[in-house]
Amino acid sequence: MDNNDIYREEILEHYRHPQNFGVMKRPTYEAEAVNPLCGDRILLQLKVNPKGVVTQVRFSGSGCALSIASSSQFTEWMVGKTVKKLKTTGPDEIQRLMQAKIGSSTDADVHSIGPARLPCLLLSLYALQKMFEKEIQK
Amino acid sequence: MINSIRNQFPILKKRIRNRALVYFDNAATTQKPRVMLEAMDKFYRSQNAPVHRGVYSLAESATAEYESVRDQVKDFIHAAHREEIIFTSGATASINTVVSGLAETFLHAGDHILLSDMEHHAMIVPWQAAARRMKLKLNFIPLTKDGRIDLGVFRRMLAKHKPKFVGITHVSNVLGTENPVREMISLAHKAGALVLVDAAQSIAHAAVDVQKIGCDFLAFSGHKMYGPTGIGVLYGKKKLLERLPPRIFGGHMIEQVTREKTTYAPLPEKFEGGTPPVAEVIGLGAAISFIQGIGLKNIQKQENELTAYALRALKSVSGLTLLGPSSAGARAPIFSFTIKGIHPHDIATLLDREGIAVRAGHHCAQILHESFSLDASVRASLCLYNTTQEIDRLVSALTAIVRKFK
Repeated sequence: MDNNDIYREEILEHYRHPQNFGVMKRPTYEAEAVNPLCGDRILLQLKVNPKGVVTQVRFSGSGCALSIASSSQFTEWMVGKTVKKLKTTGPDEIQRLMQAKIGSSTDADVHSIGPARLPCLLLSLYALQKMFEKEIQK
Repeated sequence: MINSIRNQFPILKKRIRNRALVYFDNAATTQKPRVMLEAMDKFYRSQNAPVHRGVYSLAESATAEYESVRDQVKDFIHAAHREEIIFTSGATASINTVVSGLAETFLHAGDHILLSDMEHHAMIVPWQAAARRMKLKLNFIPLTKDGRIDLGVFRRMLAKHKPKFVGITHVSNVLGTENPVREMISLAHKAGALVLVDAAQSIAHAAVDVQKIGCDFLAFSGHKMYGPTGIGVLYGKKKLLERLPPRIFGGHMIEQVTREKTTYAPLPEKFEGGTPPVAEVIGLGAAISFIQGIGLKNIQKQENELTAYALRALKSVSGLTLLGPSSAGARAPIFSFTIKGIHPHDIATLLDREGIAVRAGHHCAQILHESFSLDASVRASLCLYNTTQEIDRLVSALTAIVRKFK
């Protein structure tokens, strides 16, 4: 098994059995993001304690292996982080978690993914960003 | 024969990710034969001049070349008159010209428009915009399970809605279904409707004879028939085009301009405002010559063999569900499918690793996908230069993907 492959077994396992998959009642925050590429959507929900620390995360919806597996890993990572930290989290974090290489489509390296698939990888981040946009507007 | 055809397409020698390119996105755009590329190149290198207004030799010869393609298109689709051929930027522009023109002049609030669930967004969205503006009512012909239009259902919808207009695709860009346009047009005419045929997917695959099928309007694009992007054709019956208002206003489409008013030029100039894409028109002419050189009968025979082979081969992929007709005949080599448990975009990315270019998504036909309760599908669309070996590569790559996701 090649560990550089974005479609490696570990990632496919997250797709088959995503962590934190489901819907929670009375979340502190929630937001939905739509993938402009295919119309797939996920709902992201957070429960935050009075100290501003994330205690529980849930996501639901449908998507490709990249969006489900990255949401699975990203939501695992979120637990225990502060809201303040999440607000400053960018795409690098997901790329690091997924060990994703973004390459051009003529790249001879078959393991990189084209930039067109980036929205799939970042779908849960889009939801996270929308969540706090909404909060700022309030 | 297939090798001599493939040799005419320089891009087919390209390697993607160290593998020979398998180009299966021909319903989106076809690749370009050398004769077409050379015709455009030659025009820019040695014939370039504005058409129609110059009185010097170079401009006159450019005009003659440009106008000769109009005759070529007229013969290609068997139109009765050369001025029934309007050059546009593509099928989308052709359809928009018809829709906005009809909405403005022929239609009234409350009029019904009949489209089908398999229409491309290029047919649906202009009508939705016109319907909002003009308070028109849109109705959609539902599809059978295997992605066809039932003529009985069509008859009943004509009787029920008494539409003023029917817009129908000749060949579905997702299902590959070839619609019985001749029968549909005759039924629609009896019911008092005008008919626009979207021939974007049929024009490079089957003979289109506008007088035989009897359509009032027909639209297609150059780039889906081995020609360049940025050029398309609107065919319309002369009497209708004469009544239809222009859509693009400006130079060339006028007869006389005074401070008070402008009178418009006769057909076809009325619809060709601005400097036309001359090189693209010449490229389109070369693409038509290329198709005629091989012959649409030969193309159809070759593509029918590919279709029969692909339908058989795809059956061996476990969990694969094909959209549309599962038997060859009255069908273009377009294969849209889903595989249980694997998202279309994952399939497309993993096929790309094998050098196989397919489309994943809704293919500008969201209503069609919704009618099959799908968000997206994978589409492999073939044409005359594709081979059975390429289909084998697709099938073995799909089989490996299924195994990987198990």
